[in-house]
Amino acid sequence: MLPKGRAEQRRSLFYRKGVIRLKITSAYHKQEERAAALFIAPAIISLLLFTFYPMVKAFMTSFEDYNLISTNSSFVGLTNYVNLLKDPEFLRSLLHSLHFAVIVIPVQTALALSMALLVHRSSKISGFFRTTYFLPVVISMGVASTLFKLVYNKDFGLLNSVLKIFGLPPVAFLSDSHAAMYGIMLLGMWKAAGFFMIVFIAGLNNIPRSLYEAAEVDGATALQKFFKITLPLLRRTMTFVVVITTMDAIKISGPVFILTGGGPANSTTTAVYFIYKTAFQQMDMGYATAAAFILFVIVLIISLIQLRLFKTDVEY
Amino acid sequence: MVPASRQWVLMFAIAAISVLPILWMAMGSLRPRQELFQYISLEWHLFVPVKWTLQNYAAIFVQTSKPLGLYIKNTLLVAVTVTALSLWFNSMAAFSFAKLQFRFRKIILPLFMSALVIPGEVTMVPTYLLVHQLGWVDSYTALIVPSVISVFSVFMLIQFFAEIPRELLEAGRIDGASWFGIYSRIAIPSSVPAMITLGLITFLGQWDSYLWPLVVINDETKQMLQVAIATFSNLQNTEWGQILAADTVCSVPIIILFLVLQKYYVQSIVSSGIKG
Repeated sequence: MLPKGRAEQRRSLFYRKGVIRLKITSAYHKQEERAAALFIAPAIISLLLFTFYPMVKAFMTSFEDYNLISTNSSFVGLTNYVNLLKDPEFLRSLLHSLHFAVIVIPVQTALALSMALLVHRSSKISGFFRTTYFLPVVISMGVASTLFKLVYNKDFGLLNSVLKIFGLPPVAFLSDSHAAMYGIMLLGMWKAAGFFMIVFIAGLNNIPRSLYEAAEVDGATALQKFFKITLPLLRRTMTFVVVITTMDAIKISGPVFILTGGGPANSTTTAVYFIYKTAFQQMDMGYATAAAFILFVIVLIISLIQLRLFKTDVEY
Repeated sequence: MVPASRQWVLMFAIAAISVLPILWMAMGSLRPRQELFQYISLEWHLFVPVKWTLQNYAAIFVQTSKPLGLYIKNTLLVAVTVTALSLWFNSMAAFSFAKLQFRFRKIILPLFMSALVIPGEVTMVPTYLLVHQLGWVDSYTALIVPSVISVFSVFMLIQFFAEIPRELLEAGRIDGASWFGIYSRIAIPSSVPAMITLGLITFLGQWDSYLWPLVVINDETKQMLQVAIATFSNLQNTEWGQILAADTVCSVPIIILFLVLQKYYVQSIVSSGIKG
């Protein structure tokens, strides 16, 4: 009798416990869901309002003739896009952005990697140089641009003083339409190289030292070590650096505003600067958003390539 | 490797290129007006003023036409507000994504992250139109509200929160704490380094912001620092000494902040580079 009763008792106790646990878990889950909803609500609302809604809106506005001054808008179909693709000023601005990208990507990446190789070891001296190389990164773009405006000055600028020391002729970096874009590039690289140097240092420090030691035992030269060990193992870092540099480069605008204002003779008008001018000086919102959308598609394609590259990398 | 001596020359050359323009800026701001354009060949006085003066600083803080103090105050107000709100809301969202179980999480998270590929430059025009419709033009609301949520910050914090064991949080639950209590008393204290890093990035981003304030703020007395400095440099009779002084004032606090918190700042780049 007793054993049976005990078993029953145990069973019913077990059952009761189960019910209680079930009740607790469902209340628990409900609370958790409510907390989660409250926690993500501000982020979701903000993102919907300030990122996704503007994207949709941009898409719609790009089919309209929408002027902020006359405040009337009318649907014009693909007219904005067709006109943009025929607009030499817009095409030239895209070309300027690409020109910037094509030069800056290889030069800046090589520079950042060289800097990283010079100072990646963990010692006090390397640390000092790392900090030094990084300083331009923390200088604001506005400050750097006004400073470089003076540095580039043909008569009194620091750059031309230095060129003179090396016996080189002075260059009017900002008023010569052939040189102005290089002035922007130089500033861009001065400010950004240190940032990517740090990324490369992180990548370099992930390469096991034992690989180099083994190579040394086999009598590998420094160049061999660089091309057979360092470069292949930096592939993931390199992809990251190149893709981020590309996206930043295509969207370059900051120094253009302050250094050159797009000039001389529109020679430094980049795509984002073109969009800004069209939207906020000519108040032609439809045309500007269509241009922004073309730029977005270009950036999106590059982002998709980026995701692709990262994927193959993970499998690798 | 490159012979050691050549390596040293290179290291010093790059250091010079990095630092000399900044030094030239700081020293130029301490020169009287007529001296600024006098020393252009390689000599000691290319960098060191002959006559030291603070008149440029006096001018930018005292002159009513260029009230630098006001712009610094404006910028600090916006930057600090954005940083505080940003840390709060982004960390709550990240905590929720990383640790809480809720329906549609698997759908919402990738949608949320997809915003990473939408560049601000591209949504700038429609966002401006929205801000215009909301009547926020010329107010700090326009600078603050759209800047608070950062997908990148949420992304970084998710990775950080993911490392906190769920049992630790459940233990808090069993002890009767609410989820908000667990978030604020367990999750946040255990991620202080990440919060410092993100706080620093957000603050610097705001301190540097140029394009968005240029677009939404027209009232000169409400303007942000970078736009104000850029405007100074576009004036007809540019007082370069004063601009260099403004540049220096704008940079010194940032450089000090960076030197003090360098570890966190560099860490953020390293982790975004590795995990990015």
